[in-house]
Amino acid sequence: MSDQPQSPRRKAAGRRFAVAVGLMSAASVLALAPVAQAQEAVPTVPAPPVSAPAVADDSAALAVNDPLEGANRASFKFSMGVDKVLLGPIAHGYMAVTPDVVRDRVSNAVYNLGEPNTVINHVLQGKPKRAMRSTTRFLVNSTIGVLGLFDVAAKMNLPPRAADFGQTFGTWGAQPGAYLYVPVMGPMNVRDGVGRALDIFTDPVRIVGGGLDTDFGKARLAVTILDTRALADPALRAVKDSNDPYATARSAYTQYREAFIREATGEMEDLPDFDTPPADAPPATPNP
Amino acid sequence: MTSSPTRRGANAALLTFASALTIGAATLAGPAFAQARDPGAEAFVQAKGQRVISVLANKSMPDAQKKQIFKQAVDELADVPRITNFVLGKYARTITPEQKARFTPVFRTYAENVYQNRIDDYRGEKLTVTGSVIRKPGDVIVNTTISGGQIKSPLPVTWRVLGSGQTWKVVDVQFKGVWLAITQQQDFVSTIDNAGGNVDVLINQLQKGGSNRR
Repeated sequence: MSDQPQSPRRKAAGRRFAVAVGLMSAASVLALAPVAQAQEAVPTVPAPPVSAPAVADDSAALAVNDPLEGANRASFKFSMGVDKVLLGPIAHGYMAVTPDVVRDRVSNAVYNLGEPNTVINHVLQGKPKRAMRSTTRFLVNSTIGVLGLFDVAAKMNLPPRAADFGQTFGTWGAQPGAYLYVPVMGPMNVRDGVGRALDIFTDPVRIVGGGLDTDFGKARLAVTILDTRALADPALRAVKDSNDPYATARSAYTQYREAFIREATGEMEDLPDFDTPPADAPPATPNP
Repeated sequence: MTSSPTRRGANAALLTFASALTIGAATLAGPAFAQARDPGAEAFVQAKGQRVISVLANKSMPDAQKKQIFKQAVDELADVPRITNFVLGKYARTITPEQKARFTPVFRTYAENVYQNRIDDYRGEKLTVTGSVIRKPGDVIVNTTISGGQIKSPLPVTWRVLGSGQTWKVVDVQFKGVWLAITQQQDFVSTIDNAGGNVDVLINQLQKGGSNRR
C-alpha cells in the first residue's frame, strides 16, 4: 500500500513520514477503501453450503477481540480529529477539482505499483494462476497502460485481484488476534499489522524504485495517501453517521478483512442466526 | 518416495480446485453450485431489489414522492421488524415494550436517512442476480451485481434472505464484505454498553441523528 522508511537515521524524512501516515490513519477506514478496482475481492460465497453451527452466537461475524479498547478509542479519536482538520479537507479539495476520470487514473497507477507485492502473495498462497495474471497485469498496464494509468489488462479479461500478507497469513490459518487502532496506521489487527509491515518490507517497487529517501518514494506515498483517503470518503461518512463510530469502524474493518481472506480461501461465511439474540444480556455492561 | 506422486496429485487437485474457484467466481452463475441455488429467493431479490434501485436512480421524481415510494419499496424488500430486533443484539432480550415502541419508528427514520444517503454514493441502475447459496433451508444468500448509472464496473452486492417458496424478505445486505445489519448491531450494542446498558441513550441519540450532533 504505502512506503515506510527503513532507516531510522533519516530523521527528517521519517518525521514527515510519521505525519503523513498519521494522516493516513485518519483515513482510517483504509480497509473500507479497498482498492476500488478490486471488486471481486468482495465475497461471493463460492463454496458449497455448509450447515450453520449449532451455537449461533460465536459466529466470526460478531466476534470482537479488542482488549486494548481504551487506548484504541483514544487513538481513533485523535486520528479522526486529524482527519477533520487536515486530511479530510485536502481530500475533499482533490475530489472537488478533479473529475472522476482523473481520480480513476490515479487509483489505477497506485494499484499498479502494488501489483508486484500482490504477485508475491498469490505465490505464497499457492495460487500460480492468479500470480501469473497479476504479473501479466503489471507488465501490460505498466507499458501499454502508460505507467499503470490505464487498466488495459482488465479489458483483456484480466481483472485485478488484490492480495497482501495479512490475507496470506489468513489463508495459512493465522487468527486475527487483537484489534488495534494504531495512530500511525489506522485500524488493523495483529495479523494484518505484521502483514502490513511485510508488505512494505518486501515490496519490490520500493526496493527497486526507492523508498522515502527518493522523490519517487515520497511522491508515491503522498499520492497513495490522497487516493486512499478519497476512496475511503464514502466509508468514512458512513462511520461518522453511526452512533459509535469507533465500534462501527471496528466491525466493518474486521468483516472486510475476513471477507478478503475468504475470497482467497473460498470458505463459506459463518453468519449468526438472525432471530436468536445472544444469550448473555446482562442489563448493564459498561465497557472498560 | 511415495509422497512425491501423492503430493503431485494433491497439487493438481489444488490447482483444479483453485481454478474452479476462480472460474466460478468469475462467472458466478456457473453451474458449479446450481444444486445449491434457490430460484425463489433469487427471483425475489431480482424483483424487489431492482425496484429499490430503480426508485433511487429515478432522477425525475420529486424528492418527497421518492422518499414515500422508497419507503414502500423497502417494506416489500426487507423484513423491517425482524431487522429492528436484530440490530438490538443482546438487548433485544431486555428492552422494555415501552422502549421498543419508541425505538422502532426512530430506528426506521434513522436507517432510511442513513442508507438513502449511503446508497446515493453508489447509485446504480441495474441489478443482476448472479447466483445464490442455501445456508440452510429458508436462509439463503443471493449474490448480485449492480451496474449502470454512476457505477463504472459491476459492483457485487450480497443479500441475505429468509423465507420459503414465494415468500421472502431480505434481512441483511453485504457490500465489500461488510454486512449492514451486523455492523449496525455492533454499533448499537456498543453504544448501549457504553451507556451502562441504558437503551434510552441510544434512542435519544438516534432521535438527534447519530453521533454527528451529539
